[in-house]
Amino acid sequence: MAKWFETHLPKIVLAPSFIAILIFVYGFIAWTAWVSLTRSRLLPKYEIEGFIQYERLFDSPRWDTAMNNLYIFGALFIGVSMILGLVLAILLDQQIRVEGAIRTIYLYPMALSMIVTGTAWKWILNPGLGLEAMVKGWGFETFTFDWLVNPDMAIYTVVMAAIWQSSGFVMALFLAGLRSVDTEIIRAAQIDGIPTWRVYVSIIIPSMAPIFLSAFIVLAHLAIKAFDLVIALTGGGPGYATDLPATYMYAMAFSRGDIGQAASSAMIMMLVVFAIVVPYLYSELRARND
Amino acid sequence: MARAVTTQRKALNTLAAWTVGLLIFFPILWTILTSFKTEAAAIADPPVFLFFDWTTENYSAVMQRSDYAQFLWNSIVIAGGSTVLGLIVAIPAAWSMAFVPSKRTKDILLWMLSTKMLPAVGVLYPIYLLFIRLGLLDTKIGLTLVLMLINLPIIVWMLYTYFREIPGEILEAARMDGASLRDEILYVLTPMAVPGIASTLLLNFILAWNEAFWTLNLTAAKAAPLTAFIASYSSPEGLFYAKLSAASTMAIAPILIMGWFSQKQLVRGLTFGAVK
Repeated sequence: MAKWFETHLPKIVLAPSFIAILIFVYGFIAWTAWVSLTRSRLLPKYEIEGFIQYERLFDSPRWDTAMNNLYIFGALFIGVSMILGLVLAILLDQQIRVEGAIRTIYLYPMALSMIVTGTAWKWILNPGLGLEAMVKGWGFETFTFDWLVNPDMAIYTVVMAAIWQSSGFVMALFLAGLRSVDTEIIRAAQIDGIPTWRVYVSIIIPSMAPIFLSAFIVLAHLAIKAFDLVIALTGGGPGYATDLPATYMYAMAFSRGDIGQAASSAMIMMLVVFAIVVPYLYSELRARND
Repeated sequence: MARAVTTQRKALNTLAAWTVGLLIFFPILWTILTSFKTEAAAIADPPVFLFFDWTTENYSAVMQRSDYAQFLWNSIVIAGGSTVLGLIVAIPAAWSMAFVPSKRTKDILLWMLSTKMLPAVGVLYPIYLLFIRLGLLDTKIGLTLVLMLINLPIIVWMLYTYFREIPGEILEAARMDGASLRDEILYVLTPMAVPGIASTLLLNFILAWNEAFWTLNLTAAKAAPLTAFIASYSSPEGLFYAKLSAASTMAIAPILIMGWFSQKQLVRGLTFGAVK
């Protein structure tokens, strides 16, 4: 008995985590998928009716706005965070004094709740108080910065705060990558008189391709899941101008009492994540098994 | 990429790095400064930076709100509880994957981690309904359980990356010397795993402390933690900036301080073990 226990112990201790994740993630996703095919409103119903919820979803102008915002937000957030993160990493790689402390400061935004730091952002973006008032105070009377309350521009304030939150994280990833580049090759290039920027463009950055990929995956899933940023900054407003899929789903489930819509929007988000993450995991697995 | 850099260049680079650091830190610094202003000074036009009458009235005002202590206590219980529970479940699992790997271990790990990528909204509603049925809605136990489950994949993954750095030969040597499985775990493994467990603990505490999606959706008044408190405080545009800043400062202070004194763990934790 004791012998049996010792040989099977590894599996037994793994089981709770395995089962918990299986039920709580896949079991509940299956439930959501099921409900998304019904006519559920305030309460879930379980008779399958087909794809009516998805038809309603794709006809909804609010969902349209949410998806458009996701494209704008995702593209800008991922692109700018990566570029900024790379620039910051190269800067920190130049033998800076007290590097540990500054690395921590760059990472602080990622460690703090956006719900909380959103306070400061609301102040900065508030036309009457923050940046606009400050620049006007310096004598530039015509300066306006009212993106927060402008329906066409409000989504860009969400992008700004998101970049602020994540570029330190990307920086830390890239910094680790820069440190792992083979210094012999770089020294050889320098002896050959190749300018530093060429060394970066042609040798260092290409050799960090895997890090770009992981940074992209992490940022992409953060973009799709973005929720507290919007809640903290704009609450989805003005109107629903800054809705993202996650806040759309939240509004449908809890203020509109439309579970069917909530479930179908959740499924679409899930499909988008799958489309990005699955190929990545597949290539990871292949690389590991070879 | 380490290269020889002249002293002057080095000073210039350091200056640039700290300027960027200050810019990044500015929103946090501003919150802290505002928390010491009067409400009138907080919305002064043009804004004042350092030369205002420093006051702690916002802190006493926030503290006097009967419910603040309750929110703080909820945050501590939920973040601490879900972290401890998560570690209890995850340590054996990570141990098993790191030291007794099977052919499927890598697949299981990646699969676990991939679930963390899925948007939480996909499982929100079923959990919400389940909570209503079990009477767990707006309770600390319910939220603790959910946050534990949500962060479990990350905890397992983090612990695994740490455990893997412990050389297996040491365990073999201990076994050769006649150590039982219990001795092995208690006297050999645990002491070597403490740093890894500590930074996993820190990361998970931070994640749970900051959690907004689940806390806003699954709590109302009784079990709501600080994030929900601040979200409720910030509704009317600019009404109580100074008091809101005081509440915010108190909510971020533990993380700022803990993070500063465990910088290595913070960096490694926030990058999911990618940066050592």
